[in-house]
Amino acid sequence: MLDVDGETHEMLLDNYISNLKRKKWENNYVIAEKTVQLFRHFIDTIQWSTTIELLNQLREYGFKITSALPLQFIVGNIIRRILNIIREEHTAARKSSEEEIDVQESLHKIVTSEDDVDDYNSIVPELKLSIFEHLDEFQIEIESSNEDISKQALEHIHSNEIILTVGKSSEVEMFLKEAAKDRTFEVFITECSPLNHGRQLALNLSKHKIQSTLIPDSTMFGIMSRVNKVIIGVDSVMANGGLRTFNGCHAVALAAAHYSVPVIVLAPMYKLSSRYLSSYNQDAFNEFVSPDGVLNYSDSVVSKVDVYNPTYDYVPPENVTLFISNNGGHSPSYVYRLLSEIYHPLDYDLSVHNK
Amino acid sequence: MLKKEVSEYFSNIMEKESDISASIAAITTLLKLLEHDKSETVQELDLNLQSAVEVITNSSFRITGVSSGCALFMRFITFAKLDNITFAECKKVMLDRGKVFLKKLTDARNKVAKITLPFFVDGTNILTHSKSRVVLEAMKLAVNSQKRFHVFVSESSPDKSGTEMYNCLKALDIPCTLILDSAVGYIMERVDMVMVGAECVVESGGIINKIGSCTMAICAKEFKKPFYVLTESYKFSRMYPLNQKDLPNNFIYSENNSNDDNSLSAHPLVDYTHPSYISLLFTDLGILMPSAVSDELIKLYL
Repeated sequence: MLDVDGETHEMLLDNYISNLKRKKWENNYVIAEKTVQLFRHFIDTIQWSTTIELLNQLREYGFKITSALPLQFIVGNIIRRILNIIREEHTAARKSSEEEIDVQESLHKIVTSEDDVDDYNSIVPELKLSIFEHLDEFQIEIESSNEDISKQALEHIHSNEIILTVGKSSEVEMFLKEAAKDRTFEVFITECSPLNHGRQLALNLSKHKIQSTLIPDSTMFGIMSRVNKVIIGVDSVMANGGLRTFNGCHAVALAAAHYSVPVIVLAPMYKLSSRYLSSYNQDAFNEFVSPDGVLNYSDSVVSKVDVYNPTYDYVPPENVTLFISNNGGHSPSYVYRLLSEIYHPLDYDLSVHNK
Repeated sequence: MLKKEVSEYFSNIMEKESDISASIAAITTLLKLLEHDKSETVQELDLNLQSAVEVITNSSFRITGVSSGCALFMRFITFAKLDNITFAECKKVMLDRGKVFLKKLTDARNKVAKITLPFFVDGTNILTHSKSRVVLEAMKLAVNSQKRFHVFVSESSPDKSGTEMYNCLKALDIPCTLILDSAVGYIMERVDMVMVGAECVVESGGIINKIGSCTMAICAKEFKKPFYVLTESYKFSRMYPLNQKDLPNNFIYSENNSNDDNSLSAHPLVDYTHPSYISLLFTDLGILMPSAVSDELIKLYL
């Protein structure tokens, strides 16, 4: 749990931001959990009476965090999700009846000209309690997401298939291990240089008695003609169904498209981002990290050449066949629907204050 | 209101207020009719409205955008009818809601402009076709937000509406270049994205727009440039054309050339762009993928 005794919110925020900046929590799953815990504490300790006060305070904190960490999409996703949970609980308590609550803009709403936009400016008794209950569910969802994804493994991996994966992703590892309980299949793993996480995955899988072959990134195209399925993990799913994922995945996706091999992406719901890629020059999309690994520092040539080591790749939605989330399989064209279910449109931009 | 008056009122808006789209003009006309209507029963009102819709759709203007607006209005009336007991009450509710309804529709363009803003990245080259009020509004907002971009406008024969767009952009001090329709392929490698409006969005998520849009979309797809459509959601229409031939004649031709027996020699004024060429639709309902259009329509009309 968080160590929160006597610390002010500002200190907590600064701690949280610096922890993320120093990459203390390497795993996305840990980041997600820590974010929920932090905001849980905020909801508990902020002085608020009307829902809008709570929302605005949280949005302010959220804006501070997301502008300090523009590259961490997950953080923004979790914050938006929590804001939506609060909005949902507020509306549910206000309407009390069983009627369907639809917060999204739709043609239907325009035509029926409902103009009772909720301004969240009322005091709802026991709101905190219901928010916490809902947050508990959300935390359980995050905890069990990898498990829920791997449960679907047998529907996608069949006997004697050849699977190709890129680098190391915890979702993929669990997925393959789950499938291996009932099926025998072969896995090709690309090294994914310069970090070479693929080696670790190959090791883990072979310990699990899965026949795995480690290949250099460069031979990926040659091997693709023999592959039945490409299964990859992802850093985040963009709002148009595209992927922000580890470097080298776009090449794999293109090779797969060339041989008509399906590309399956394992993405828990908290990796769904409400952002779009509007240009390859977009700020806060890609990250350049230390060139160590591409070129050794001790090499004398280091001072004479430019070395780039970007972290992410963008894969357009047309190169993705299927997303598997903890809620089941979705095609890329369905992502907009999922987004509208889990985020409120007012929270897409955290910088603008609601009235 | 008599048929003649309806027709005059509608033509008046269409001719005088260039800033208002045909759908809005039609809906304003129908609301006006509702206000002056003296009918005593719902049935009578329905008949009156239907004949007015007929008058509007038979007017000399091309009705691509009008039909979806009229359908939306009739749907609006149907919903309002359901809730109330007496006719007088019902009519009052219709008028009240009508105002809210119209306001929502007229706000749509600003909403679209706002959500498009993040896609104007500094230094981008944008290709656009013909004249679209939404695209113009979005570019206006972008340039007012200190974005730097260059616009290529295709001339868009036969009515040269691209020239008009070019002049509007010039007036806003947006750097722009007018190109020939035939130069679309030539210019495509230099642009970063294509941004067009739509006269009508069909159920598949494809669009019906000024002739030449389809060519531009196919070209953009081949060059792997994103093809963005900016449109208000009231242009969503319940049609499902499979090819160009499926488009109704009164969409393709204006009155002057549709009477021509030899329709092969007449120039079509709109074409249908298949959804697979469209990257995203920017609407007042949010940024949608083409597949979302049928979703919206099903929610409304089922």
